[in-house]
Amino acid sequence: MTPPDSAHKSTLPGEDPLRPHSFDGIQEYDKRLPNWWLLTFYATIVFWIGYWLYMQQSGLSVGDGKKIDEHMARVEAVKLAANAALDDPSLWKMSRNPVFTSAGKATFDTICASCHNVALTGGIGPNLVDATWIHGSKPTDLLKVVNEGVLVKGMPAWGPVLGTKKVSEAIAYVLSHHTPPAELSLSDK
Amino acid sequence: MSDRKLTITYNDRVVRQFMLATVVWGAVGMLVGVLIASQLNFWRLNFNLPWLTFGRLRPLHTNAVIFAFVGNMMFAGVYYSTQRLLKARLASDFLSSLHFWAWQAIIVAAAITLPLGFTRGKEYAELIWPINIAVALIWVVFAINFFWTLAKRNEPSLYVAIWFYIATIITVAMLYIVNHLSIPTSLLHSYPVFGGVQDALVQWWYGHNAVAFFLTTPILGIMYYFLPKAAERPVYSYRLSVIHFWSLVFVYIWAGPHHLLNTALPNWLQALGMTFSLMLWAPSWGGMLNGLLTLRGAWHKLRTDPVLKFYAAAVTFYGMATFEGPLLSIKSVNALAHYSDWIIGHVHAGALGWNGFMAAGMIYWLLPKLWNKPLYSTALANLHFWIGTVGILLYVAAMWTSGITQGLMLNATTEGGTVLAYPNFLDTLNAIRLMMLMRVIGGGLYLTGFLLLAYNVIRTISGAQAVDGRVDVYVDDLKSAERPLGVFGTFLNPPVVFSALGVLFACVWMFGGPALQIVGLFGTAICAILAVAHFATRGTRWAGWYERLLVSAAPFTVLTFVAVAAGGLIQIVPTVVVNKAQNMEERIAKPYTPLELAGRDIYVREGCYNCHSQMIRTMVPDVLRYGDYSRLGESLYDHPYQWGSRRTGPDLARVGGKYNAAWHFVHMADPRNTSPGSNMPNYPWLYNNHTDVAALYGKINVMRALGVPYPPLSAALVTEEVELQAKTIVEELKAAQQLTSSDREIVALIAYLQRLGKYEKVVRSAAVTP
Repeated sequence: MTPPDSAHKSTLPGEDPLRPHSFDGIQEYDKRLPNWWLLTFYATIVFWIGYWLYMQQSGLSVGDGKKIDEHMARVEAVKLAANAALDDPSLWKMSRNPVFTSAGKATFDTICASCHNVALTGGIGPNLVDATWIHGSKPTDLLKVVNEGVLVKGMPAWGPVLGTKKVSEAIAYVLSHHTPPAELSLSDK
Repeated sequence: MSDRKLTITYNDRVVRQFMLATVVWGAVGMLVGVLIASQLNFWRLNFNLPWLTFGRLRPLHTNAVIFAFVGNMMFAGVYYSTQRLLKARLASDFLSSLHFWAWQAIIVAAAITLPLGFTRGKEYAELIWPINIAVALIWVVFAINFFWTLAKRNEPSLYVAIWFYIATIITVAMLYIVNHLSIPTSLLHSYPVFGGVQDALVQWWYGHNAVAFFLTTPILGIMYYFLPKAAERPVYSYRLSVIHFWSLVFVYIWAGPHHLLNTALPNWLQALGMTFSLMLWAPSWGGMLNGLLTLRGAWHKLRTDPVLKFYAAAVTFYGMATFEGPLLSIKSVNALAHYSDWIIGHVHAGALGWNGFMAAGMIYWLLPKLWNKPLYSTALANLHFWIGTVGILLYVAAMWTSGITQGLMLNATTEGGTVLAYPNFLDTLNAIRLMMLMRVIGGGLYLTGFLLLAYNVIRTISGAQAVDGRVDVYVDDLKSAERPLGVFGTFLNPPVVFSALGVLFACVWMFGGPALQIVGLFGTAICAILAVAHFATRGTRWAGWYERLLVSAAPFTVLTFVAVAAGGLIQIVPTVVVNKAQNMEERIAKPYTPLELAGRDIYVREGCYNCHSQMIRTMVPDVLRYGDYSRLGESLYDHPYQWGSRRTGPDLARVGGKYNAAWHFVHMADPRNTSPGSNMPNYPWLYNNHTDVAALYGKINVMRALGVPYPPLSAALVTEEVELQAKTIVEELKAAQQLTSSDREIVALIAYLQRLGKYEKVVRSAAVTP
């Protein structure tokens, strides 16, 4: 072992002992690791474990893709709802948006299902999932029927009762059981 | 003392050479930095010349500063300190000289090829393949020279600086080689073997750890030698050195994916990138603590000694940057800061503060020793320190303000979060004009300080006689009390076994199925408890083993390699070997048509990725601004990937079809035609240059070899397809009164831009299962 070359080394009084070896005159203390430093290290390790458990394994966190899809659906919902003019493309679009269709299902199940069945297969009222439309197949035709009713056949006018929002949601829910016409490309937002 | 005395003369000639090269290339790199920062303010400074445009000069700046400035500084510091810490002259004068001259030749080659547009299109990995091979070979020369010296050492035990040098040499070799794997299409052009997400992951595994193992670990080693030398104080804590060294080299490698947060990168990789970046905080601060606390008892010397001033400030900036890094790796913070100037500020706190000031301190300390003459002017060195410090603070503060301002504006929404508050990207650019100007001033001040150093160097060494250091070694000293470790002792010992088992169980926990997860978690916990208990009762055995490891250079190197290789293997291998269909997320790119490929190569050549990303993140403002978020499959065939890292301009992932061809035609001639207030350069040469159609056949063959599903195409068919598509674009332009001919580069570029964001749907059931 090289004798510590202490030419320019002066330990402060009461200091810890130096390690015996010196490298080109460089000596080393062997001080304890600072507690706050260790705690910082441990805390970040605990965070890693907790974060991984929550994000990857608990099933409580949805992936980024799903999260943004839901978020954008909400944004689109707000936009569509603000859009007073309900035309065929926008109703078709709503029918592909879970925000609308799930709200529409709630309305449908409480109001419409009594005649049209929860499965939309009809009963008192006509079947809504087959290919036959009695009063026109365009979404705006449906809107007219629901809003104004077909009183001779027993369909009430729901527009004044439910309001535009709930009506359009219910129609979106019905339309979600159908395929939009080919010329409307809805899948890519 | 023994009778037998050896007198060793160090090879300080190569140290002097590398040091002077540091000064020269530092000045060049920083000058280019000030120029490109000015170009962002005044677009006319691009001079309408291809080789002076921002997109080509920015890679020159980053490469010059990293590989030329810090590279030369590192070699000077490593060679000077290693010889003294090992009490041995560098093993080979020839290899030392070869290392020096070949490295300078590489830098000159880079400085010529990058402005000419020869690039691989990956950040900090732009150099073309022949230069890559030269870099790899010279790195091996460095490694041989270093490890050979290590083998011939007259000092049995390895000091902490040497640990960091070992980690640097092996890790940089690993990173550099993997990230530069390419297939050449010509003498000057190649395509990287990885594409899309694989390329992104490999790139940032490399990019992040270039910061770690090129800009950090060697400089930490240099700190461990030069700082206690200059302060004449013992190093604060040996055990802190041990803990922070091993935790740093192990954890650093995992953090690469934090450059890809909120992108299409799979969530598990993002989670690894974020959590390991946070765990990196303490290990990094271990280095800062050992630096700063070594100055205890020497603080009064800072008043007079510029060297210590530089070191104290450098270590402080290191601490600042390594706190900021984990902060920026938190996904929500990153959502604001990524693609913004905040990141630029962050790296410059490291580059200017840590690397630049460590270099300055080292040079001022070495000059008098290597030339046996006092420093020409201490006052000038002090002035350098203060000008440099003010420069850094101005620069960094400007970039914080700029990044946060632009980030907030880009992410701001109104009307219940449904509409962008600043739909025009240029509004957000023009909001940071003042800060961009402050950056030029800050950078200019820093360069001025560096030029003072250059002047001081010239005045100090002019007329001075170079001297080489000497040391007397007594043969008795060569014997160590410790026996070196064998294979058995290297691996089968408590620290290594507990670490390996702990990591193994942790991986089982993270990546195993539901049942395995529980086994893994309990296994990790039990491992940790046993390790703590064992250490508490038999800690001296751990310490004793480590003392033996320190006299065993080869086992030390092997264990370091295992520690750094682990993270990369676990992150990259699953992504690379996994069936490609699994990476697609319902969408897959179509291979580029030959003309689009030609356009893409022009996009890469002009360095568009330096300002434009092609990655729409999973964030509402990104989707509102640029369209549906990017999927992995859309860039599957992108060799190289072009996700980008900075948005000085808007994202281009879905720019295709957003405008018509005429818009692009007018825009590229002078972007202010269509986008008033833009700071983008003009690209007049694209309207004169002819598209390199002849090269396309070979390029497509390489692409096919890389797994891009091109149908069989003959050279004639390629030319035919190019002409057909080019004619359509020319016709479309003609209809809008924009005249050009089909063989011009602008046509190919438009074909590529109009193609961006186009993909095919993938039916899930059709995806091949592995």
